[in-house]
Amino acid sequence: MSKPELWVIAERRLDHVEPTTQQLITKAKHLAGDHFKVITILLEATADHLENELTAYGPDEIRIVRDDRFPTATDAEHADALKQLVDDYQPNSILFGATITGRSIAPRLQAKLQTGLTADCLDLRFDDDTLVATKPSYGDNIMCEIICPDHRPQMASVRPNTFVATPAPGDAKITTATVTVHPVDRLNLTTARPVVNTATTVGDANRVVALGRGAASAATIDTATKLAEKLGGRIGVSRPLTDQDRFTHDDQIGQSGNTIHPELILNFGISGAVQYLVGMQDSQTIVAVNADAQAPIFDVADYGYVGDAQAFMSALLAQFN
Amino acid sequence: MKIVVCIKQVPETNDVTIDPVTHNLDRRGLAGVMNPFDKNAVEQALQLKDADKDAEVVLLSMGPDDYAESLREGMAMGADAGVLLSDRAFAGADTLATGYVIAQAIKQIGNVDLVLFGRQAVDADTGQVGPIVAEFLHQPQITYAASLRLSGTNEVTAERLLEDTKQTLVATLPAVVSVRSELNTPRYPTPRNIQLSFAKPLTVWHHDDLDLDDSRLGQAGSPTIVTKVYAPEPVKRELTPLTGTPTEAANQLITALKNRQLI
Amino acid sequence: MPSTTAAAEKLLLQMVDDYTAREIAPQDMPMDAAGDFPAGFVQQLTTTGFLGLMLPQEFGGAGFGPEVTATALNHIARGNASTAVTLEGHFKTIDQILKFGTPALQQQLLPSANDRIFAFSMTEASGGSNPMGISSTATREGDHWVITGDKIMITNGGLAQVYCVLVKTAPQELSVFVVDQDMPGFSFGKREDFIGLRGTPVGEIVMDHIIVDDDHLLGKLGDGGMIGDSAHDDARILMGAVLTGIMEHELKIATDYAKERKAGDKPLTKLQVTHRKVADIAMRKETTKLLYQRAAQLKAAGRPYSEEAAMAKAHGSRAAVSAGDDTLQILAGYGYSREYPVEHLIRDARAMEIAEGTVEKMRSAIANAEFNK
Repeated sequence: MSKPELWVIAERRLDHVEPTTQQLITKAKHLAGDHFKVITILLEATADHLENELTAYGPDEIRIVRDDRFPTATDAEHADALKQLVDDYQPNSILFGATITGRSIAPRLQAKLQTGLTADCLDLRFDDDTLVATKPSYGDNIMCEIICPDHRPQMASVRPNTFVATPAPGDAKITTATVTVHPVDRLNLTTARPVVNTATTVGDANRVVALGRGAASAATIDTATKLAEKLGGRIGVSRPLTDQDRFTHDDQIGQSGNTIHPELILNFGISGAVQYLVGMQDSQTIVAVNADAQAPIFDVADYGYVGDAQAFMSALLAQFN
Repeated sequence: MKIVVCIKQVPETNDVTIDPVTHNLDRRGLAGVMNPFDKNAVEQALQLKDADKDAEVVLLSMGPDDYAESLREGMAMGADAGVLLSDRAFAGADTLATGYVIAQAIKQIGNVDLVLFGRQAVDADTGQVGPIVAEFLHQPQITYAASLRLSGTNEVTAERLLEDTKQTLVATLPAVVSVRSELNTPRYPTPRNIQLSFAKPLTVWHHDDLDLDDSRLGQAGSPTIVTKVYAPEPVKRELTPLTGTPTEAANQLITALKNRQLI
Repeated sequence: MPSTTAAAEKLLLQMVDDYTAREIAPQDMPMDAAGDFPAGFVQQLTTTGFLGLMLPQEFGGAGFGPEVTATALNHIARGNASTAVTLEGHFKTIDQILKFGTPALQQQLLPSANDRIFAFSMTEASGGSNPMGISSTATREGDHWVITGDKIMITNGGLAQVYCVLVKTAPQELSVFVVDQDMPGFSFGKREDFIGLRGTPVGEIVMDHIIVDDDHLLGKLGDGGMIGDSAHDDARILMGAVLTGIMEHELKIATDYAKERKAGDKPLTKLQVTHRKVADIAMRKETTKLLYQRAAQLKAAGRPYSEEAAMAKAHGSRAAVSAGDDTLQILAGYGYSREYPVEHLIRDARAMEIAEGTVEKMRSAIANAEFNK
């Protein structure tokens, strides 16, 4: 029998905690109710104190395993350590961030535990003690609800930025646990260095000027770039525009990856395919400009203008100037 | 060196719909193609073969008989052989049950030095099977490799790109590696190689050709169940129309954004 | 050797579609603007193996049959008709060497067709429609032939390295020889500046006492007219395929646009005037497709296909120009703009009312075939 523990596996990102961890703690607290304890599992070096970045989010407990190998441990070594903890504590469910690290360690642990794992989830809920994980597939066109009825622990990885981290009261009791680290000598991490990544994704922007098929000309893109600058934001595009050389996956909204929720998004010439709408509908203020009054984008917008995207954009830019 | 590349066949497009009556996924009329990310893994294997003519590249897939098409395409790109794991007993498998059969097949192929995977399938988007197979084979794994080369007779070196860290990893073979799509541009099968690929061996293995524990197969061996499939429904909002000329409408928007303290 | 199977053809077309979408179609507008193609393009066609698509496997090619070869050009032309026509010129030439060349000549020349472009040249300044009016000659000197003359308006002229040339071997005797750009006496002349298919080089070759042996003669002395007709037949099937591709492109532009646009409050898709045009474009496309496929089937079956090939080209070329005109009208001002490819598709299609025999000649051929039934 598993115990009513809901685990969030903390991920280390260089010298800090990866933000998805805090997002998951907030979500886990909502899910837990009175039924579960939210336990954050933190594997860190003996001198580290990454728990200081977690206490404010109010997990019931932060369970720390300290070993100097962890900051450079391989996926298999991480999975091995987590397997020992699972054997010792028998949690009901385990949540990972669906980061590259999370998506590498979680399935390895899953195989050790011979249990179910649902990857890259966009929502989670409990039916009694069964975790119902909502996972997109077919490039976010389809949502699947997946359960793991007969195996414990239940496992899920959650897409970064799906939930918002909110500081909350909670015991945040700090405890320690021990495992035996079994070094795998057939795989060695020889170097690890931070990548100065200047390329931001559209998910990082707080204001987005989004362009679709109806706003794809060079002149329109030029105007949109100026408008984005004025707003202190960034351009994003719907799928058809990723065919243009100047746009990449990092600029794309809504398909397999960039789920965004900026405080303001202006949609130009975007009719609103389902996966696009789902990818941006949590934005705080949504504005849509489209020549077609029937375009689905208007269903999810706060403000809408039926007309030519370029003309409206130019008028708006003129107001700012 | 023997390299196995695991590939999956996926629908040609992701524009799938839900049947309004049965609530099942309507995949009618969708042609199957090799998962685009898997082509990067095939290309990586072929580049290793280009550098070492004695290397043998075997493609491995699990699915119904028509998955042979993807195997054939990979063989037309230059792989030496294909193995298709096809049996009713394998149907309905989730990632765990799939990983089990793939791992057993890799053992059956024997003397495999390197197993390659694409980063994930474009339909299910899980990326789980690679690490699961690595675990079942008790081999080291390098996921999301951004480069991969042979760095010794029995060793590969890979660069692995995390969100903001670049790692260099050295693995002693045998090992399992999944590759990023940025790693290479897959070659096209030439018309001639398409023709010649039909002379290469494509083997179909059924249940009895493998050493399998039946309780770990198909639906019975799958811990997860899909309980509901649906098209996401965007949440509707109350729309305030902006009206008049573009300039008038832009003015209305500016006022609204000011009221919302966005400008 | 494995046979050409449906599975192989499916994979081939998948590869052709993929490659066309990613590499060839994006070159279409730049090629038209430049009147040329980018450096390395021939190398690309070589690496991809397109040059050997229909070349038998014994010569290092892929050995695909006439039907799927035509379909492949149809698919390429959806994205770039010029590239498809360059391949058409190459394939029709290979076809004549396969039909009329000696085994020794085939062994000597054809393996290089995987990485060198071939061309077939008939026209001279005196006119294209009257073969007996040409002035290029091959004269016997000792145990070899000496070829002299100018050939113009050659598809792939200046790009190709191997040329089949129609010459007179006697005042009333036409014959075809194969010459190579590396032979002494061979040079390139003027390049045409055509208004359409601008990514297909068309140019002149000058032959000044080129010496070849008997083995470079295709067929027998006096077979020239017949070989020329045969080259036309093979070319016309492929042109029907290219024209089908152009019309598929036009149809896509017309329907995409109609689905997005409105006239007043009404979507273009609800207007009868749009229906008429779109239906006409679709019918022209489909009839041309059936015609070229029928001709290709007959060719694959070893039956006569000259009349059907002429129909495919005669019908298809006018059909594609008309379909382009209708597409332009649906797009109105945008259709008339160089920013959209419609005007360039019309110019491309228009070339095929002239090349490989004018529509007028084609109609005579079809009518005569009917009289003889």
